[in-house]
Amino acid sequence: MTTNVPAVDVHGAAAEARPKNFINWSSGFMSWAGTLDHKRIGLMYLVGVSIAFLCGGLFALLVRLHLWEPNGALFSNAQYNQIFTLHGAFMVFIFVIPAIPGSLGNIILPLMLGAKDVALPRLNLLSFYLWLTGAVLATLAIVLGGFDTGWTFYTPYSLYTNQAVVTIGLAVFVLGFSSIFTGLNFIVTTHKLRAPGMTWFRMPLFVWALYATSLLQVLATPVLGITVLLVAFERLYHIGIFDPRLGGDPVLFEHFFWFYSHPAVYIMVLPAFGIISELVSVHSRKPLFGYKLIAFSSLAIAIISFLVWGHHMFTSGQSTYAMFAFSFLTFFVAIPTAIKEFSWVATVWKGSIALNSPMLYTLAFLVIFAIGGLTGVILGALNVDIHLHDTYFVVAHFHYVMMGSIALAFFAGVHHWWPKMFGVIYNETLAKIACGIIFIGFNTTFIPQFIMGSRGMPRRYATYVPEYAPFHQASTIGVIILAVGIALMVYYLVASLFQRKKAMENQWGGVTLEWLAPTPPPLENFNEPPVVTNEVYDYSTLDLQTMRTPVK
Amino acid sequence: MFAHLIQDPKNYVENPARPPEVDAYGQLTKLASTFSDVDGLFYFTYAVCVFFFVIITGVLLYSVVVYRRKTFDQPALSNVTHNTPLEVVWTVIPLIIVMVMFAWGFRGSLDMMTVPADARWYKASAKQWNWTFNYPNSAAQSFGELWLEKDKNAAFVLESSDVLHAFYMPEMRVKRDVIPGRNQTIWFNPTKLGEFHLFCAEYCGNDHSKMYAKVHVVTAEEYATKPWDKWDDANPAKGGEAVYKALCSSCHSVNGTPLVGPSWKGLFVKDASGALVGAQREVLVNGAKQTITVDQAYITESIKSPDAKKSVGFEKNNMTAFPALEDKKILGVIEYMKTLAEGK
Repeated sequence: MTTNVPAVDVHGAAAEARPKNFINWSSGFMSWAGTLDHKRIGLMYLVGVSIAFLCGGLFALLVRLHLWEPNGALFSNAQYNQIFTLHGAFMVFIFVIPAIPGSLGNIILPLMLGAKDVALPRLNLLSFYLWLTGAVLATLAIVLGGFDTGWTFYTPYSLYTNQAVVTIGLAVFVLGFSSIFTGLNFIVTTHKLRAPGMTWFRMPLFVWALYATSLLQVLATPVLGITVLLVAFERLYHIGIFDPRLGGDPVLFEHFFWFYSHPAVYIMVLPAFGIISELVSVHSRKPLFGYKLIAFSSLAIAIISFLVWGHHMFTSGQSTYAMFAFSFLTFFVAIPTAIKEFSWVATVWKGSIALNSPMLYTLAFLVIFAIGGLTGVILGALNVDIHLHDTYFVVAHFHYVMMGSIALAFFAGVHHWWPKMFGVIYNETLAKIACGIIFIGFNTTFIPQFIMGSRGMPRRYATYVPEYAPFHQASTIGVIILAVGIALMVYYLVASLFQRKKAMENQWGGVTLEWLAPTPPPLENFNEPPVVTNEVYDYSTLDLQTMRTPVK
Repeated sequence: MFAHLIQDPKNYVENPARPPEVDAYGQLTKLASTFSDVDGLFYFTYAVCVFFFVIITGVLLYSVVVYRRKTFDQPALSNVTHNTPLEVVWTVIPLIIVMVMFAWGFRGSLDMMTVPADARWYKASAKQWNWTFNYPNSAAQSFGELWLEKDKNAAFVLESSDVLHAFYMPEMRVKRDVIPGRNQTIWFNPTKLGEFHLFCAEYCGNDHSKMYAKVHVVTAEEYATKPWDKWDDANPAKGGEAVYKALCSSCHSVNGTPLVGPSWKGLFVKDASGALVGAQREVLVNGAKQTITVDQAYITESIKSPDAKKSVGFEKNNMTAFPALEDKKILGVIEYMKTLAEGK
């Protein structure tokens, strides 16, 4: 973490002139490891989840390279099964779920609310250490022999396989508590620490989105914890709940698992929606279209998402009535999601659109999420899903949401708040090029997967029938392009910390409270406690020459 | 440790069904069953998706070109925050469209779940990592291959003896999870002659991707000859080889490489005079080591109850039992093993 400490001579006269910020106000290992400052914890999360993302991405690259040939190019089937499992488990549990709330949420949420910190700073640090423990345990599970169950741990295979399932289960359990504590913290912070004058409907939509996410984290994650504990007990003590040989029911596991993991999809995607809502407004310099509807749709999604888990199980033989209800509600949840997409597009309409890199990532999100969301509608239809279930069509669909939408929104947010977090700006030209490469690489990777999926290519296959080879090879070429784009992005972001090209106080002309704080913010964020007198996203008070709003 | 890298080619790699034809739109394979609702609804939703995608990207592209910020202090052209009629329209219209999709899809799935009364009942037994099929009014089973009659309703009882699998035939548009401890059913009416893929679509361990069966849809005349029950008594080793490829090759090699189980090469050897004899093997009987000579009785026992005599060196691995394998097929397997013998 110490690489983030700017190389200034703290004893020199220049340092006296430069105001202390949250990065340089103290130094030393313990000032980071024991910090209670939400921004430092957020930065540690940012570094951590980025490493997890790169690991997960490396596994993805290996998976795709292996699939260059129908009979598999690199690994045995057993090794391939471990690698795709690692890709899924690292990406879902260690990267996507904690990424946005843990890093950007931690840093930006209190700033947006005009608060000095989150409501429960110690719990915040505990969340981070639980995340770290979970990540270490997951890595340990690789050393202890790996795991080949898929990230879904379906029973009874996960009960019989002779691998480190208990260790990775423990990792998921611990990561779950990290998630619950973060959610709890954000709920309390949102209720108690809003600046004077910030009513609920003056809260930025990133806050609304994190609030809805937090509700899901607190309510759904315990079910996952209980489920992985039951799997561990079943493996160790043969209690007979999921194992059909002991009278258990493997389908019960599927119900438990998806009761968490479907809401988890929204735990992952709602924060991304929040980021996009902010960025669309700021970079179009226009109030967000349909603010209240977007805020309510986040809550509606959070509630309905608890009632659609059965759509992961349309081929499992559940009753006709269950199929009816789950399919109906799945289509129903499409509506609030569609409202968001339409509202973002309407916000861009007649805006003042700045084509800087955060906005390019945002536009890429809007296009990719349109595909991800619309293909979800295709999968909601019962008889069509029976054909497409567990094929590459589903793989492509959820990568359009997980990778193309959530990861891209995360990138967009990192680019947007980078100047605020570090006080420096990255190489904008490289950023635009990287965004283009990532967009092309991503679509080249996953469009062929839609086609081969609807033609019947099942997922989680180490080898395949030769007629699918051209699609697999196109997809592998795509992922190489994608990897180049991401490597370029990592390069210019890290390089910007050393080049130290100074950012403006209000780089993009935002009107939410975080842009009122000094750049980078000092320990307790604001020089004077902010008071909110305007409606949210009111750009009329912004002085376009100085990018400042009148100080209240 | 690299033994697993050497893989025996399984039947779909060396002998796949012919590649399926693709339909006019290129997204689906040509339908080979009566479930045309799947294709109809797929392309309907697809068209709706393309329509909305074009609108969304069209408005975005237009806006980016026309409303692009030219000077850094350019304000937005409009500060509108909402438009109730517009919001009602884009809530209600998609709602109506998705409700149509829902009703259409649900109706289609009811057809799939209701097995016609005149269907022929087959049984598909899934185990790691192969398929075994039982036929109505026939004692013979087939392994890794299935024969069905064109235009006759075919229904299946699906059984798993180990973990989750799924019965998936893309060209028939049907899929059903195969769940240990439950009897699932699936049915379809094959409408085209030819060969079709049957995949396992639920992850089931190491050789999940090789859990494959080739499905032949044949005419009534050919079906009446019971093609699954063909056994060439003059050449039992050939039949044995087919059984090997369908059932045994994921765990036993024929080139001397140990996989999950011991290789079959060297089970029979030629002695100095050139006569075929059984090899000596060390096995565990109730935990005690014994040396036995490989013979018909030992092979038969190892197929029907593999735990009785486990080969030393493979104690920790468990083999699936095949108690129902017919005697003539076991003899065919033994004849095939004998062809692997080396010597003079």
